[in-house]
Amino acid sequence: MNRVRQRNESAWLLPPGPGSNNDLRKHMRRFEDQDEVDIVVVGCGAGGSTVLQRLARAGWRVVGLEAGPFWDPEQDWVSDEAGSHHLYWTEPRVIAGEDPVPLGSNNSGRGVGGSMVHYAGYTPRFHPSDFHTFTADGVGADWPLDYADLKPFYEDIEAELPVAGEAWPWGDPHKYPHRPHPVSGNGELFLRGARACGVTAKVGPVAIANGRFGNRPHCIYRGFCLQGCKVNAKASPLITHIPDALAHGAEIRADSMVTRIGFDERTGKATGVHYVQGGRERYQRARNVAIAGYSIETPRLLLNSTSDRFPEGMCNDFDQVGRYLMVQGAPQTAGRFDDEVRMWKAPPPEVSTEDFYETDPSKPYKRGFSIQTVSPLPITWAEHVAAQGHWGADLRRYMSDYVHWACLGALCEFLPLEGNRVTLAEEKDRYDLPVARFSYSQCDNDRSLMEAAQSVMERILKAAGADEVITIKRYAHLVGGARMAADEEHGVVDQDCRSFAVPNLLITDGSVLPTQGSANPALTIMAVAARAAQKLAETPRTGRND
Amino acid sequence: MSMLPLDKDDGGARFPGFSSLAQSGHWDQATAGVVLGRIALPADIRFFTPTEEATARALLDQLLDQHGEPRVPVVNMVDARLADNQTDGWRYDDLPEDGEAWRKTLSALDHAAEEQFFQPFADCPEHQQAVVLQAVQDLGDQPWQGMRASRVWGLWTRYACTAFYSHPWAWDEIGFAGPAYPRGYKNLGLNRREPFEVADAIPQEDPVKADRPAQDQDRP
Repeated sequence: MNRVRQRNESAWLLPPGPGSNNDLRKHMRRFEDQDEVDIVVVGCGAGGSTVLQRLARAGWRVVGLEAGPFWDPEQDWVSDEAGSHHLYWTEPRVIAGEDPVPLGSNNSGRGVGGSMVHYAGYTPRFHPSDFHTFTADGVGADWPLDYADLKPFYEDIEAELPVAGEAWPWGDPHKYPHRPHPVSGNGELFLRGARACGVTAKVGPVAIANGRFGNRPHCIYRGFCLQGCKVNAKASPLITHIPDALAHGAEIRADSMVTRIGFDERTGKATGVHYVQGGRERYQRARNVAIAGYSIETPRLLLNSTSDRFPEGMCNDFDQVGRYLMVQGAPQTAGRFDDEVRMWKAPPPEVSTEDFYETDPSKPYKRGFSIQTVSPLPITWAEHVAAQGHWGADLRRYMSDYVHWACLGALCEFLPLEGNRVTLAEEKDRYDLPVARFSYSQCDNDRSLMEAAQSVMERILKAAGADEVITIKRYAHLVGGARMAADEEHGVVDQDCRSFAVPNLLITDGSVLPTQGSANPALTIMAVAARAAQKLAETPRTGRND
Repeated sequence: MSMLPLDKDDGGARFPGFSSLAQSGHWDQATAGVVLGRIALPADIRFFTPTEEATARALLDQLLDQHGEPRVPVVNMVDARLADNQTDGWRYDDLPEDGEAWRKTLSALDHAAEEQFFQPFADCPEHQQAVVLQAVQDLGDQPWQGMRASRVWGLWTRYACTAFYSHPWAWDEIGFAGPAYPRGYKNLGLNRREPFEVADAIPQEDPVKADRPAQDQDRP
């Protein structure tokens, strides 16, 4: 039997062709609220699903609670931009700061699979340098673990998604399990422009199987990756980890909003989670709790979980919860060609360069950026055009030129700053809980990176033959907010994702990342979660006692 | 060719004979259900008051250059979103949530029109409406009627563009064929088209070249 299949059978548990394994869901094991399960996991996205699958495999009795639905891609997802609004977390939130970051769309998820349901599919690794930026450059933070600690988990997850791409020359050079996909007009122009100006660009790395993988079909290059892959070609935990978790006795309880972590003042341990399902308040008992609600909801849940021991929110003894939240600066630059590009055809993730990822001593800024193809669909493209100031007849005329544009996006490594954080707003949601307030302000290094990335994208597109370029400034991804650190005064969890303050409480999502590199975070979130699950599986199921 | 009236000089006539709806037989059922709903009779207005509706209608017609029939029923689409409280999941700390922000900004728009042209926005002739709107956009991050102008502008254009460019008639005028499942694409690459795609009849119609003076061409 195939080695991946031996440790994760998900792709073989799906029906051949598109669709869901409804029997697996129908017959999944179900626990009672009063059962003290070995672990309850809050959130079934990249981090939560990985933990569920790993611990179910280890024989743990696991329940995953998910605020959103348990998707059936054929029924619930559409090949349409505006019709995919329900893939986002659209509960109310307040944004503030000097550079407020819009939430909801590209940086949020809901439902089983989380934001990987609608991510583009890029799955680069972090570079070894990402783990000690403070020592090397005096910026960011050092992780309490090294690249070498994560490497085996990167390799495992890359095989399970699986990832397709050329041999990767950057960071720790490595290969991918699947060959690179063919590229569309957009990718062709990126490769042409990069070659012309001496920039190395490679096809990949994307978590879209190239060829059949288990029962998952080949990609049909329809370009709607960001609307959820109805084909089952693009990886998300809904198809890469949840089927195997269910087959090994995990329960996924969807449409269940966790409102508070249960806590025993006497033992100082978490006892389970309060949640609301169908309007009814319920409580799931558990020996261990893992929170995986991502960078906004994880801090919010901790801050809303107050007690005598934690009057300012659980694990918040040193005012670390919600801090050092990061977004990546993600300017997109588009170029106009007389050729027809039709960039929306084929998956948006095609080609990347990490030539500018590392600190360049000749530059006034630290750290760097990556550049990737992106291919906005009409509504998103209209935002680009409107951002140039066009409206009315001008807007319609620009939009009629859509077939001629190619588009690149950068990911700039914005630094983790203490003041960029989630707090609780006055406003409450329909559960009568204070909503998150997310404040964000850039530093000078952040702004310099945005400018540098824009100028490189312009250079590449012009070298490919673009006669004009336009840029829109935007943001992508979230990480941090409950970061891992060497000690409790500098972070919320340790290198194994265990909270410093509550021995049987873990955080296993993107909020634990101390820095973000210029890489899309999904793969690293899964690798960190897989590592945390392995460490946890080595402890007694009754939870840590120290 | 799109049903929507659009002058040849404004980008009309670029994709002769092209119809995204003609492909609807190739769409999956879930997608067809969602997209075909947009060409059905528009939903009745239920969020905006009649006064707000008139202002919103004039505003959205201006933003999207819709001055004749048939038109994409953008005002009904925006109204339906607001009635359903289908927000994007965030609001600025200095603006109320989207529904309230729409009411507040529409009222401010009437106020601005009355200050300058002594009548509500919807009653102003189109060229005066354009003057009022251009002033909002030109303010950038400066305050307009007590709100940051760029945030007001962003709210309006975000809802306007999301509604308009979700409509098959709008896709027809930009050469986009819409849903692509379960069929997918076969012909990837520069100047390669699917049998159902139509080539741009006026590829040299570069809007960038058309309206920028030569010395501006190289600016970042």
